[in-house]
Amino acid sequence: MIAASLPRQRPPDAKLLMVDASGCISHNPRSPFSQFLRPGDLVIANDAATLPASVQGVHLPTGGPIEVRLAGRRSLRVRDVREFSAIVFGPGDFHMRTEDRPAPPRMMPGDRLALGPLSATIKELLGHPRLVSLCFEGSADEIWGGLARHGRPIQYAHIPAPLAPWDVWTPIAGPPVAFEPPSAGFTLDWQALAEMHAKAVRFATVTHAAGISSTGDPELDLRLPFDEPYRISDATAVAIRRTRADGGRIVAVGTTVVRALEHAGRRGVIQPGEGLATQRIGSRTPLRVVDVILSGTHEPGTSHYELLRAFTSDATLRRATDELNSHAYRTHEFGDSVLIERMRRTPTDGHHRAGAKRLAKRRWRRRIFTTVKGSCT
Amino acid sequence: MIVQSDPSAPIVDRNAHPARSTDPVVPLAGLRVAITGGTSGLGLALVQECLARGACVALVARGGERVQRVAREHRGSHGIVGDVSVKDDTYPIAMQITGELGGLDVLINNASDLGPTPLALLGDTACEDVERALATNVLGPFRLTKALLGALAASAREGRGAVVLNISSDAALNPYPLWGAYGASKAALHHLTRIWNEELVAEGIHLLSLDPGDMDTPMHALAVPGADPATLKRPEVAARELADSVAAALPVRADV
Repeated sequence: MIAASLPRQRPPDAKLLMVDASGCISHNPRSPFSQFLRPGDLVIANDAATLPASVQGVHLPTGGPIEVRLAGRRSLRVRDVREFSAIVFGPGDFHMRTEDRPAPPRMMPGDRLALGPLSATIKELLGHPRLVSLCFEGSADEIWGGLARHGRPIQYAHIPAPLAPWDVWTPIAGPPVAFEPPSAGFTLDWQALAEMHAKAVRFATVTHAAGISSTGDPELDLRLPFDEPYRISDATAVAIRRTRADGGRIVAVGTTVVRALEHAGRRGVIQPGEGLATQRIGSRTPLRVVDVILSGTHEPGTSHYELLRAFTSDATLRRATDELNSHAYRTHEFGDSVLIERMRRTPTDGHHRAGAKRLAKRRWRRRIFTTVKGSCT
Repeated sequence: MIVQSDPSAPIVDRNAHPARSTDPVVPLAGLRVAITGGTSGLGLALVQECLARGACVALVARGGERVQRVAREHRGSHGIVGDVSVKDDTYPIAMQITGELGGLDVLINNASDLGPTPLALLGDTACEDVERALATNVLGPFRLTKALLGALAASAREGRGAVVLNISSDAALNPYPLWGAYGASKAALHHLTRIWNEELVAEGIHLLSLDPGDMDTPMHALAVPGADPATLKRPEVAARELADSVAAALPVRADV
């Protein structure tokens, strides 16, 4: 795949690779998104706005320049903005690949950091030289003001020009609690929402503090995603219940929505309110809530790719990856998209819905698709 | 008179129905309200009115010291320093509003620029004065509303309602000589409001363009230096009428 190096949220030539419930793959233009939806579907997006979570400053005990990337918090409470977990780099900025960034100075609990108008203290080391928890000084309003003035969006070297805040806020962005953009939401603009209304497709949001996607350190990357707080409103919980009762599909826009919904619905029923998503989703995770995921194009080995394995078989994902590569799909946050329907499982798979008769029908249909599109196994 | 964004309605009849102190006050308890230009004149009166009705208020203005002072003096308010006429200030302002209030139910775009002072014939008006009036009175409200649209839509979906109030003027409809830069910018804002309101009906977001009337404010003193304050509306009276209109555009809530 090719790295998308321009911060365009909805390029007119954006592509979408669709994998349906029987594993059939098709190539489509991504717009209009409503073409992939059916009346009665419920589309759920993450409405978190993106914090300017990259903060340059100085490690005061050594005088060494550092870049702090805020990476996590415990809750979404308005006043709870003092304490964050953070990845710390030595000198430099996004122009250098994270893998090549120098380590930060050796940090100890109690060390003070001067971060532009903000001051912070290292609270704990979190088992890796780059990962700490820190505490900002001042009132909540002062911390918001300092971040707003001094912080910049977290950015990686595949985009050479500095990102502006409007590059990383989705059109529906609300509470500023994401550390990196919930970028699947770039797909949705107000026109797309209007088309959904017209097609009797429902729309709802969750707020999920999307964490960082890369630390530049393979060992630390294995710990991703970190714990992420989320909030599900009563209205969204009701919409999910209604959609399921009416036989509609739950379409999650992005991996963060899957993580929030599957965490809130882990006991079968969606609990509205705030929660902390701590689970990892992979090939063995039964999906209890989400039927379809819209996501970016992800490389095997990343935590995002692992999550996709909950939706469809490894063989199908391998074929999808081949298709993405051979058709020059773009990757990363401003790249193209995949839409994956949860695969109908065989009866021996455990969490299936399909009976043997439906399975036989599907095999027949699949054969037809194979002839037409040539990409089914 | 408060006039809704109805093109056929007159916007000129100013003091016809001043609010009476005996009218019941509609509470705005628990609502999250942001007000630009919130440190003086009508903006400050709106801050006080909304706080008195139980709202949480974020006030935005350019002057750091004034913002701090007003925020300090008004319990329950949050002061945000920013200039709505500057594009780069948009997202820092929006982020602080939703961050500090935990979301947003009501946005009041009140900050305004008069154009040239003293007022001037259009032929004598510098381009820069028109640009500044448009940046503050049209582009500023457009950008801030756009940046906050997601938060407002979320509030509407959750049944809390969502209102954007853009402060208009009778100069938006009437061609008063000397009011060219201001009048043209307010006309643009008025029409922008009406179109956007149509577009957002399905999302449950209401946009209002209301004329508060000629008030005894620092801005009016700049425009008409010799005016007799006794002939002008008090900003507190206008603020009360505007708050009633905002409350009327929100869903009736069971919890208040």
